[in-house]
Parts: sequence; structure tokens; C-alpha cells
Amino acid sequence: MTLTEPAIADSEAASGAGDATAPESSDEAVAAPSTLAQPFVTSDASAVGRLFVLASLLLALGTSVVGVLLSLGRTEAVAPWDLFGGFNAYFRMWTLYRMSFMLLVVMPLLLGVALAVVPSQVGAGNVAFPRAALASFWSWLIGAVIIVVSVFAGGGWGAIDGVTGNESDAMALTLLGTGMVMVALLLGAVTVATTVISLRQTGMSLLYVPPFSWSMLVAAAVWLFTLPVAVANLVVIYADLRGRPAIAFGRAESPDIWLQLDWLVEQPAVYIMAVPVLGVAVEAVGAAVGARSSRPEAITVIVGLFGLLAVGGWSQDYFTAPQDLRDGLVYVAFGLAAVLPLVALAGGAAELVLRGAKTPDRLLDVRMVGAGAALKLLGAAALVGALRVIEPLDLLETTATWAVFHGVVVAGLIASVVALRNWSQELRIGPLSAVVGRGAIALLAAGGGLLVLSDLVSGFLADAPDLMALSLDGSAVLNVVVFVGSILVAAGAAAAALGAVSALRPVPVAESDPA
Amino acid sequence: MRTTALPAAEATRPRTVVVGALLATGAVFMAFAALVAVYVQQRQLARATGQEWFPEGSVELGPAGMMMMTLVLSMVTVQWAVQAARDEDRPHGFIALGVTLMFGAAVINQFWFVYTDTAFAIDGGRAELLFYAVTGSFIAMLIFGMAMLAVTTIRSLMGPFGRDLAHGVQAAGAYWHMCVLCYFLVWYVIFITK
Repeated sequence: MTLTEPAIADSEAASGAGDATAPESSDEAVAAPSTLAQPFVTSDASAVGRLFVLASLLLALGTSVVGVLLSLGRTEAVAPWDLFGGFNAYFRMWTLYRMSFMLLVVMPLLLGVALAVVPSQVGAGNVAFPRAALASFWSWLIGAVIIVVSVFAGGGWGAIDGVTGNESDAMALTLLGTGMVMVALLLGAVTVATTVISLRQTGMSLLYVPPFSWSMLVAAAVWLFTLPVAVANLVVIYADLRGRPAIAFGRAESPDIWLQLDWLVEQPAVYIMAVPVLGVAVEAVGAAVGARSSRPEAITVIVGLFGLLAVGGWSQDYFTAPQDLRDGLVYVAFGLAAVLPLVALAGGAAELVLRGAKTPDRLLDVRMVGAGAALKLLGAAALVGALRVIEPLDLLETTATWAVFHGVVVAGLIASVVALRNWSQELRIGPLSAVVGRGAIALLAAGGGLLVLSDLVSGFLADAPDLMALSLDGSAVLNVVVFVGSILVAAGAAAAALGAVSALRPVPVAESDPA
Repeated sequence: MRTTALPAAEATRPRTVVVGALLATGAVFMAFAALVAVYVQQRQLARATGQEWFPEGSVELGPAGMMMMTLVLSMVTVQWAVQAARDEDRPHGFIALGVTLMFGAAVINQFWFVYTDTAFAIDGGRAELLFYAVTGSFIAMLIFGMAMLAVTTIRSLMGPFGRDLAHGVQAAGAYWHMCVLCYFLVWYVIFITK
């Protein structure tokens, strides 16, 4: 592999790269957009990446606060429907929490990091379609606002306790926002994937693309296989919702809308958020100890395998008898096999530590600690996922489902903190404070660990299927633990957001040029 | 003896616009395939429980076959446009793109006839709802493809042909072929096997 040959100057990238660098003439300098206008017109992928990261971290804060309230509803302090003003409102928040963490927090957060980091890793001046990247951010943000507003206006993904007033219209708006967000993420994914495929340095084979760029290429491919299926679900649901009163399925006054989409936040599709986490972890460990893997192609294969096991469009069970799918060999095999690449990747990370400098300051580096925590949480989630598909354990329709979800989501959040620390130069922000970084990682890891553990144990204790954890008997102590875990995750998200905002400061142009 | 620095070999990476368009096209195909899968699954479920899917004779094969033929012809004209763009042959490129747009408009017109002929109500039941969801999505995809081709046509009129524009037409052509493939699914699943 050689990185010294000139990058391919393809049409779009060349113009985009030109936009990303400092203006050469005084005329261009005069024409440069003002600071206020820049977020609306920039074709610098690094700036778009920063926008994604900041907006996602702020939404992470809001979503984790919703999580705290939901977990408070699981305790016996107050009935959940009283806390939110009705059973429908509780259901709306319960579904918002899950969809938001996936579509509005973890996926855009890692996409934002990728937009900033991938071009410099593969030797391109900018991403393949810089304006498409900007369009991706704004359509994602507008979609996110539509989702949040419509959910608070009585929309959401179905209702359990009947529909009143304009709630059906608000639900249609929620579906529109969800579709917008998914299409925007797909657009961003296409931009990143094209950058890796088409704009990497000549001589750099795909097998030797840096781990994070490779993991984003795999993630983009998996997103392209998975999110369009969810968009198709939305089309059917929307036509159904508008086609009332001869409702076939997707009834607004039932949780049917959610039941057509819940596969997205369950195994195996939930892992689509986690694929880039592997790339972040490997690179962070390598950077912390100053070592490179002796078998980079093995890391490539492992990440690819994990991506393959995250493809989940086939796993929706609304249109079939759930037992037909979930007792099937493929579903069980996917659940069990997901553990293997994570174990292998942990081995790869361990090899890096053995090859690198093992001084205490390097071993306790924020990136090292964060990568370790993210991998452990992800491993725990995959392990719970493997237990969940073992039929005699009877965990499928229990809170164990959310143990997997929480493990993956919090691992994604930790990976983003690590990425902020590791790639501050590519993101053109100041270095994330080590104290804030350690604090955020510690809070997130502790909170995530408590959530995974308590959701798993609650799942074992449940006498009957209870995805919403509304049967409070027998697991009151665990529900308090969930509450504490949610508070810790919210505090960790707040620390991460605070760290990112405080790291925003003007960086001299000479330092900011990624080329 | 002096050595002469040779120019670098031409880059062999796949072209950016084409790669991006192929990835986006794949995503659109996935969405459409998922819709068709729901249609097939629901129809199978209805038949398994002894229910009628469409009333006998309500869906005619004739117009659907005409649409298939029209779209197959449009595949030829799209490739004609792509080749003309590669050859920087402006008159042929413009004619080919114009004919393709006309074929697209003809298919939309034929769908309008099918909707009038079948006179399904969207709230008539699962079959009718999914019929409109699948065919409506296809029409939306086709209109998007026509818009892509129209933009390419306008660009070809306003500026010189070149490598970049040829890639743009190639990308639009790949999307168009995918649309025809999707219609093949519609034709077979909805109109032939009914």
C-alpha cells in the first residue's frame, strides 16, 4: 500500500475539495459566507460532521431525560400513565425514546464523525458529494424536529388507548418525519461509502482501508440494506392510516404501527448502530498505545462479518406469525453468531496492547478506557442477545430485548466520546478535556452496565411477555436500579455534550486543512 | 543518461457519480422489494384463509403488458442516450432522452387508465390498499427517474458534453434500468399472478 500517490481528482470530489480548503484569491475571500450563513451553505464535510455531532449530542441529552422519566415510571413511586398524563402519552414517550436513540442520536452521531474523519483517512480532500452531505444534515434535522413536535402533539407510532381529535394527523406527521430522517441518513451513508470506494488513494486496497473508514463503509452498506425496508414499512403504514376507515393493519388506535417498526430496535437490526463502534475502538486502542495491528486484514474481515450479522430487514415479524420467525434457525444463528466477531475484535485490540507501549499513562488514556468500555458493553449486549434467542430461556418478549438495545446505544455514545478525543483535529475542534472525557465515559459505562444487567435480570424474572415492563411485581428493586442507570446515562450524555460544546473554538486555518 | 519522469497512470477507480448513484439505486430497490414482499405475504395469507384477493376480472393484463413493453423499449433508448453522451453526440443524446421521457409519460398515462379501469377504493381492503401502495410507489420512482433524465437533458442543452455529464447520464440510466426491473416485479406479482 502506498499513500504517496496523488489522490484521484474526480469531478464532484475535486470541486468539493476545493470548497473545503482556504480561498486562494481575495475575491473568494470576500465571497466567503458569514459565520451565520456557513451552516446553510458550507460544502466542507468536516463542518457538516460537526453539525451532526453537536445536534446529536443535544438530542442525546433530551432523549436520556425522557429515559429517566420512563424509568421513574417503572418504579413504584408513581404509575407511568399518571406521570405522563395517560397511557397513550406514556406509550408515545416509550416509543420516542427507542426511535430517537437510534435515528436521532447514535446513527447521526457516528455519521457526523465519519463525514469529518473518513476523507482524511482515505486521502481525499473532501467527501464525495459535499452538498449532499449538507442536505443530509438539514433534512435529518428537519425530520427530527417534525418527529419531536408531532409526538408531543399527540402523534407517535400508534396509540393503545384510542385516538382523539387530531392525533391521527399528528401520527401521519410522525411517519413523515421518520421517513425524512431515514432518507437523510441514507444520503449521508451513500456519501461516506462513495468516498471510501471512489476517492481513496490509488494503491490503497479495500482490505487495508483504516478500520474506522472500513467500519463506516460496512455500516453504510448495512444501512442501505436495512433502512429502505423500514421506509417501505412507513409507506404501507401511511397508506393504511390515510385509507381509514377500512383499516387493514397499522390501526392508529392500537400499537400496530409500532409493531411494524419495532424490528428496527431489536436484534439483529439494532446492531447496525454498532458497526462503526468497532472501527472507533480499534483505532482508539492503536492510537493510545502507539501500535498497529499485525493483521489488519483480519480486523477488516471481523468488522465485515459483524456488519453481515446486523442486516435485519428480514427479521420483522409483524406480517408473519412471530414464533415462525423467532424460533427459526436463521434468527437463532444470527443471535448466537453476533458474539463471535466481538470476541475476535477484542482479541485484535488485545494484540494491539501487547504490541504497543504499556506505560500506565497510555493504558489509562481516555481513548483506551473508552474503547474498552464500549467493547465491553457491546459484548455484553451481544451476549444477552445470544441468551435471548435461546428458546427455553423464554427471554424474547421480555425486557432482555432492551438490555441489548441499551448496551448498543450506550456503546455508541461512549464511542462518540472516544472519537471526539481521538479525532479532534479532523473535526476541527479543540481537544476534548481528559477530565470531561473520563467522566462522561465513566458515567455512561456505569449507567449502561446497570441498564443491561437490570433489564436482563428483569427479563429472567418476568412470568409473561412484558416488553414495556409494566408488571412491576417482583422486580421493584431492579426497576430502581434501572432508574439509577438512566440517571447515570443522562449525566454521561450531558457531560459529553458539554465537552463537545466547550471544545468548539476557532482553529487556525493552517491546522484545519485536512490535506 | 537522463531519465524522464513518466506521467502517472490514469486513475482506475470507479467514477464517483456512478458509484453514488448505484448505491442510492440499490437502496431504492431494497425499499421497493420490501413493499412487494409485504404484498406477496399478505396475498398468500389471504389465500391460505380462503379469502378472495382481487374480484375475478377486475385486474386486466392487457394494459400492464403494454406498460412492460413500453418500459423495455425505454431501456434501449436510455442506453442510446448513455452511448450518445459518451460519444459527445448531442443530437442523438437529446432525441434519445426525449423519447425516453415520452415512454415514461406513456407509462404514467397507462397507469391512470388502470386506476380508472379497476376503480379500486383505497379503503376497500388489504388488496386494494397494497395495490395502491406498490403501484403508487413505482409511479413516484418513475417520476423521479424522469426528473433525473430531464435534468441531464437540460444540462446537455446548456453546456458542452463531457466526461462528467456522460457519468450523469450513465447514473440516470442505471436508475432507470432499476425502475424497469421494479416494474417487472409489479407486472409479474400484481398483474400476472394476480
